[in-house]
Amino acid sequence: MDNPAVQLDTTIEIVTPENIAFDYRVAGPFRRFPAYLMDLAIRSGMLVAIWVGLGFLGWAGGGPFAAAIGLIAMFVLEWFYGGIFETYLNGQTPGKRIMGIRVLTVDGQPINGMQAVLRNILRTVDLYPMLSLEMFGATAPLYVIPTYMAGLVTMAMNRRFQRLGDLVCGTMVVIEERHLLTGVAKLDDPRAAQLAEYVPPDFRVSRSLARCLAAYVERRRFFSAARRREVARHLAEPLLEQFGMRQDTSHDLLLCALYYRTYVADRAADELPPGLRGDSPAAA
Amino acid sequence: MKVAELLNQRRQNWQELEVLCGQLAKRRTKTLQAEEVSRFAALYRAACADLALADAYQLPPNTVHYLHLLVGRAHNQLYRTRRFAFAAWSRILLEEVPQRIFQDRCVQVAFGLFWGVFLLSAWLAYAKDVWPQYAEAVLTTSAIEELETNFQNPVDGRDPEAGLMMAGFYIQHNTGIGLKCFAGGLAVIPGVIVTSFNAAFLGAAFGYMARPDVVQGQNFFQFVTAHGPFELTAIVLSAGAGLRLGLAWLLPGRWSRRSSLRKTAVETMPLMGAAMAMFFLAALIEGFVSPSSLPYEIKASVAVVSSGLLSFYFIILGVPRRRSGAV
Repeated sequence: MDNPAVQLDTTIEIVTPENIAFDYRVAGPFRRFPAYLMDLAIRSGMLVAIWVGLGFLGWAGGGPFAAAIGLIAMFVLEWFYGGIFETYLNGQTPGKRIMGIRVLTVDGQPINGMQAVLRNILRTVDLYPMLSLEMFGATAPLYVIPTYMAGLVTMAMNRRFQRLGDLVCGTMVVIEERHLLTGVAKLDDPRAAQLAEYVPPDFRVSRSLARCLAAYVERRRFFSAARRREVARHLAEPLLEQFGMRQDTSHDLLLCALYYRTYVADRAADELPPGLRGDSPAAA
Repeated sequence: MKVAELLNQRRQNWQELEVLCGQLAKRRTKTLQAEEVSRFAALYRAACADLALADAYQLPPNTVHYLHLLVGRAHNQLYRTRRFAFAAWSRILLEEVPQRIFQDRCVQVAFGLFWGVFLLSAWLAYAKDVWPQYAEAVLTTSAIEELETNFQNPVDGRDPEAGLMMAGFYIQHNTGIGLKCFAGGLAVIPGVIVTSFNAAFLGAAFGYMARPDVVQGQNFFQFVTAHGPFELTAIVLSAGAGLRLGLAWLLPGRWSRRSSLRKTAVETMPLMGAAMAMFFLAALIEGFVSPSSLPYEIKASVAVVSSGLLSFYFIILGVPRRRSGAV
């Protein structure tokens, strides 16, 4: 898991029990801080609601009882809000759910109740150093302002943006997002299919070339014609020479034709490894 | 086989899996039908297989990206957080924790630190000739005045209903202090400072109140005797657990710092659980027994019984012994 040579950005590879490797992006402070603020707001809202509700109870003649429940609720919300939600909402608090992030162990497994509680109790250390307005000479009452520097510095010093509580529990926060399934790009120009006929049949598209073609064709509709020419030139010029085609063939069109041949047209059977002729591996 | 055709074939499966993911995230696991769960698992395995073969199929990169996210989401719905294992708690609290505490050097150090500072501070505050202004320096004059006015009247039982409210307050306030001692211990120095500050402050208060010329002293001891053993032990325990966590990364021994921390975290959590249970007991006593008009003898016997229970817990249950079955 800990292989610094592999990781260049915030993407973490997880290997599941099904022996499949897939990627996660770890969430940095700019996603986690809004989630924290939202949780803070929700927590305060819950507290106000509890006190108002108990206020009615106290008004109906249960004063000390209501106050005791309110104080205990205050304690539980202050120290165990995150822990309880992360245990029962599968690694998310309401704020995290809104921001689309989730707590997992560093192996990509779900966290257990103990990890959820401990990483939230240890939030206290991440708040250090505390500042108070008195330090700046103001005669304000003793409001303590947490700077969160300990947490930020620790997050910056490891590859998974773990704060101290995360390091102790072996947890990390990942981004869980959705992505639209776009499928194969539509080619509106019928000449691409025609041009594909002229590509020599023995030309085999390598994997890296296929990836490159897909990256270009899926994005070309955002480019102007001049930009397309500029981008496509580097790949199309040597290919035109190799295929013995006329140099004034549209570069853009050639790449579209190759894309069509790779992804849409029927490929020769020998280009796929045996056993992969499209039979669905499961869930037919 | 065309990629376009393959995508069309799989699209339905993937989209069905996506819909199921959304549903699973919203519903409670108990309300799920067996067929839904097995369908979900089958679809998840199929998506995993598609992802594994994406390179061989030569799927376009953004489809691969889509699959990564889809498999990630489904994985998080399939493998869910484990809940609290309540059944195992009593065994852990009654067997493992006392034995661990009995042998734990950090708890012993925290015990020594807390009581050392406490007794020294109490003596300095009591004896006026060693350091004349000590009590005033530590407690501050305003806190002394507050203490004196609080204990001006003899403890003769306040409104019994208020006991409940005060118990709630003590749970919220004192357990919070304990958790702060624990969390501060991770950074070692804040933990030591918080612990010794609390010890010095409490010690000075006890010492000052024990002075023969402080008339409120009698009321003060009337109040604090009953709940003292549980509360002070709980603070020592939280500080010890925190210190253990801090030393885990400072002196990891043969472990790497990170794995040493993780291993220790698992060990300290039950300690914190025991400390919190003690804070709760102390808060109940502090809320109901301490302020009541019961005679001092009964309050003192509550203190004796609770000290006895604590010794039983730490010493009788704590003596290391072989696991049952081993001769």
